[in-house]
Amino acid sequence: MKKILILLGFICFSSKALEVVVSDDQGNAIKGAAVWLTGAKWQATGEQKTKVYSMGQKDRAFVPHTLVVPSGTLVDFPNFDSILHHVYSFSKAKSFELKLYRDKPLAPVSFTQPGVVELGCNIHDWMLGYILVVNSGVYGVSDEQGKVQLALDSSQLGNAQLNVWHERYENLDSPESQLLTITHVSQVVNYQIQQTLLDKLEFLTDDTDEYE
Amino acid sequence: MIQMNMSRVLAISVATLLSQLTQAQEITGKFHGLVEITATNTSEDRSWLRQGWGVARFDADSDVFNVSRAALTGRMDFSSAWSAHAVAQYVPDPDHKLGFTEAYMHYQPLAQGYQFSSKIGGFYPRMSLENPAFGWSSPYTFNYSGLNAWLGEEVRTFGAEFELKRAARRFRSKHDVSVIGALFKGNDPAGTLLAWRGFVPHDRQSVFNERIAFARVKSLYTPQLRFQGQYVDPFSEVDGRFGYYIGAHWSYLKRHNLRVYWYDNNGDPSAVNYNTKQYAWDTKFWSLAWRSKVSAQTQFITQAMYGNTAMGPRRGVDNDFYSWYVMLSHTFNDYRISGRVEQSKVMDKDIWAFDPNASFTQGITLNVRKTLSETWQVGAEFQFIDYEAESRPMAYLPLDLNEQVWRVSAQYQF
Repeated sequence: MKKILILLGFICFSSKALEVVVSDDQGNAIKGAAVWLTGAKWQATGEQKTKVYSMGQKDRAFVPHTLVVPSGTLVDFPNFDSILHHVYSFSKAKSFELKLYRDKPLAPVSFTQPGVVELGCNIHDWMLGYILVVNSGVYGVSDEQGKVQLALDSSQLGNAQLNVWHERYENLDSPESQLLTITHVSQVVNYQIQQTLLDKLEFLTDDTDEYE
Repeated sequence: MIQMNMSRVLAISVATLLSQLTQAQEITGKFHGLVEITATNTSEDRSWLRQGWGVARFDADSDVFNVSRAALTGRMDFSSAWSAHAVAQYVPDPDHKLGFTEAYMHYQPLAQGYQFSSKIGGFYPRMSLENPAFGWSSPYTFNYSGLNAWLGEEVRTFGAEFELKRAARRFRSKHDVSVIGALFKGNDPAGTLLAWRGFVPHDRQSVFNERIAFARVKSLYTPQLRFQGQYVDPFSEVDGRFGYYIGAHWSYLKRHNLRVYWYDNNGDPSAVNYNTKQYAWDTKFWSLAWRSKVSAQTQFITQAMYGNTAMGPRRGVDNDFYSWYVMLSHTFNDYRISGRVEQSKVMDKDIWAFDPNASFTQGITLNVRKTLSETWQVGAEFQFIDYEAESRPMAYLPLDLNEQVWRVSAQYQF
């Protein structure tokens, strides 16, 4: 009985979110897909735009691996490792470079142009991360079950464009999208990625890879 | 039309990037240090570093408790592509040595596709997969394998190295591939210690311009070898010729690594410096290193070397040599346990019977270390060395020498 109550509570609590479940063309849950809604009702709030987002480097990896930010926001790049990282991007949406020490943080970088920013490190060339700059205030990244919860309120019902992006797309600069009618705030949407994803690249690195 | 647009976009983005890169950049730098304190049993046999016949680094003249190594690394970034690197080291044996083990400029511009990079100065060739830790030390064992101990004492690049790399991530590939080539000077006497001592597993790296002693082998008192000093200046220039090495690295998802090198110091064995009493040795070898991560916790590493070294106008000292080791290392919680077996051999090919150079070294090394914090690490190591050298009976010593080395070390990094 108690369990049922907790479950009911959870359903009530989570009912203010649109749940998108991302799967591949075989129907397998896809982790790490960036999902966002575009349209007049789903723009970033002032609070979202003034927040400084963070793309860290920890144990020679970008943390988080994929970061979604509304366009026009600032992102800082804290280095949690004791060694230097030389973070750069050649992407059209933003090209920049930063030499980062843990105790010498640099000023945040402004991301104004929507698009995919692919991050690398010129010292540890296996490091890879993504910043998705989106014209939206409703976004998320899918979990192990391929699920993303997009918080909505009742004023945000209507026709939206659902955008889905994954790092294993052949063309990183073109997210998939589809029109979506949101009829209630606890709607569940299954999204099957239309293209065949590239092979997973699971690099296995540790501190013994330092001497390159 | 589309192509034109694409190329225009590309040109604009390259121009934007260039303008950002050429903006005056602040020069930044960083130092890191390491101090290693050791308690060890000391050998009855005097170390080669004190002209003795022993094969353990610390002998009866060493302190049981000592600072076995202190190192300071510095990196200074001048621009996006250029940085300067230096590693300075202190060792207590034989007489409180302080010097540089590496000092070089590194050029590595940002690249979208193939990565070109270069080093200019004095530095280690990257043949080893055993020495990726601070200041070319090993994260696995305190004493390096005989193979890498020899690289650490007699082989260093003083010149320029160039690398072209196809980094896996940039090509969305599982394979990293790179080719390496280097031209260098000043590594002419490399091979001397192999002839008159052989391979010995230890962790004493030579510093620039260092002179390393070895035992008073009888043959150096003969007329034929009277111009050879009873020491080696491993990084000195004798014949005025350039040496070179070429290599290739390959890695699959960073799980499996392969490094292949061909090294040739291109020494002229007839060249001798009568002042420093050093010959140019004609030293060349293959090095093949392989590492596999069996899992995120367990690694298998092996490396093998095969080559030849000779000195004298008629190659009066002419030796083939090989060395290999196999190592397993496993981590759990904050512990790393590593075990290594190794074998090395120097084979005397010349007809100078008064100068026997053949030696045979076998070793087993077991190490356990615990990381206490980001700055402190402690560990214990046991090493068994079984060594025999044909030069020993000439000095009325038994052919064989066995050493059991116990060592407990604490490392502080900052």
